[in-house]
Amino acid sequence: MRILAIDTALGACSACVFEAGAAAPLAQETLVMDRGHAEALMPLIERVMQKADGGFAALGRVAVTVGPGSYTGLRVGVSAARAIAFAAGIPAVGVTTVAACAAPLIGREHGRVIAAALDARHGQVWFQALTAEGKPLVSLRQVSYRDAARAIGAGPVSLVGSAALSVANEAWAIGLDALVVDDAKAPNIAWVARLGLIADPESAPPRPLYLKAPETTPQDKARLPRR
Amino acid sequence: MRVLGIETTCDETAAAIVSVERSGEHKILSNEVLSQIAAHAAYGGVVPEIAARAHVEAIDRIIARAFADAGLKPGDIDAVAAAAGPGLVGGVMVGLTAGKAIALATGKPFIAVNHLEAHALTARLTDNLTFPYLLLLVSGGHTQLLAVRGVGDYLKLGGTIDDAVGEAFDKIAKMLALPYPGGPSVEREAAKGDSERFDFPRPMQGRPNPDFSLSGLKTAVRLVAERIAPLSDNDVADLCASFQAAIVDVMVDRTRAGLRACREAGITPTTLVVAGGVAANQAIRSGLTRLATEAGLPMVAPPQALCGDNGAMIAWAGLERLRLGMVDDMGAVARPRWPLNELTPKPATAA
Repeated sequence: MRILAIDTALGACSACVFEAGAAAPLAQETLVMDRGHAEALMPLIERVMQKADGGFAALGRVAVTVGPGSYTGLRVGVSAARAIAFAAGIPAVGVTTVAACAAPLIGREHGRVIAAALDARHGQVWFQALTAEGKPLVSLRQVSYRDAARAIGAGPVSLVGSAALSVANEAWAIGLDALVVDDAKAPNIAWVARLGLIADPESAPPRPLYLKAPETTPQDKARLPRR
Repeated sequence: MRVLGIETTCDETAAAIVSVERSGEHKILSNEVLSQIAAHAAYGGVVPEIAARAHVEAIDRIIARAFADAGLKPGDIDAVAAAAGPGLVGGVMVGLTAGKAIALATGKPFIAVNHLEAHALTARLTDNLTFPYLLLLVSGGHTQLLAVRGVGDYLKLGGTIDDAVGEAFDKIAKMLALPYPGGPSVEREAAKGDSERFDFPRPMQGRPNPDFSLSGLKTAVRLVAERIAPLSDNDVADLCASFQAAIVDVMVDRTRAGLRACREAGITPTTLVVAGGVAANQAIRSGLTRLATEAGLPMVAPPQALCGDNGAMIAWAGLERLRLGMVDDMGAVARPRWPLNELTPKPATAA
């Protein structure tokens, strides 16, 4: 099966076309950026699709990173994925950013905890930890650097993600064996594709993962009393 | 010629398919509108983050329904149009991205539509109007008088210097604890009340420049309401009726000034058109019909279903642009602000 993978959740705008079982994507492009994903995404997908023979008709699935990440980025990526899935008559699946960042380490960090720590700003991280074999250890959460380090347990730990060094600093401070394997600002798009290929469309919907409710308060101050 | 239109600039997730048949007849093949009113009701207005979340959740389902209702498949359309602004940018991006994605995946042209232009051209979808015409565009976010000279060719004659008309209705409703959205609520109450009990000001009345100012009127209503509070049901109805009467007078007087300004600019309008969500208000429609009769012009207002935000108007504006070869590429950007006078008509091609 051939998949189109899209990531606009974090510090890059990326897409690739990936054939199941292949060593590398058929076509891919990654632009590193903190903002501007909405403007960059569709021209980028257009270029990537032009490079892959067969176009949209050859696709069997679309995968998109659903977060945690920037709300705007998530919505742009998810909107594109859902619309392409509808137009091409194929399923769309969601892949979490923490899973896509941690995936390359699974099976390669013998005896170590694998932890993904993504910068959520204001001293917070989006954090998730897995066993060396990829089994869930610490569920996805938004916490401080210190609370992330404490959640790791006894370690040793291999860290990935944009906030890997910040969490490693806290881990070292409490005497943990911590290693920063990769602190890239966004997942490798090929791994989004690989996870998308094995995801179950029923349990991995292309739905943004916000982790927080919108900040709002009902307003009725201006109301006048009624008899 | 069939075009898909997508609208997500405010609190409606909408998609529609519109066609021009070989006979020249205009048809709305489907028109799906999912209103988020319930999600915003507690806040008395649209909350941008709630709106953006709701748009992304519904966008593909609403588009799929528009195709299903029209009995068409994605490949059966000739182009995709999406509103690229003006509006709440978090929502605009959702519809704009989805529209581009469908165009790209189906290999069809894409058109980035100005939401205001879509309101402005709706009368051509419904009534086949010829240019030029005078347009009063009234909604929750906009209050303008425009001379519509052609596709992409607008002369702004006047606009509000403070609140939009729909915004004034919403604020009055909120003050009187009437349900959101305020327009229909105030109109309903006004029908039961005495429009002569309170003499509210008619701001800008008689001024030659066709601009609007509505915040003073809103304040006048509040001051009177505060003085007589606690309010009985009759008080609320009378306040609404008196407020609406003032609004109608303002709309008629300002549109009369707009008509004069239009003629002074050397433009002879064929028709008086009112469009936008507030165009659904019957009292405003009647007032403008009287003005049109006095001016010897026909008056056109879209049917109720096409007054509020909808996908059919976006599809129609896209179709008008497609016919003129005015298409956009994948790089079209979402624009929170996008005045109509920043659009440009298609340049005449050398023969």
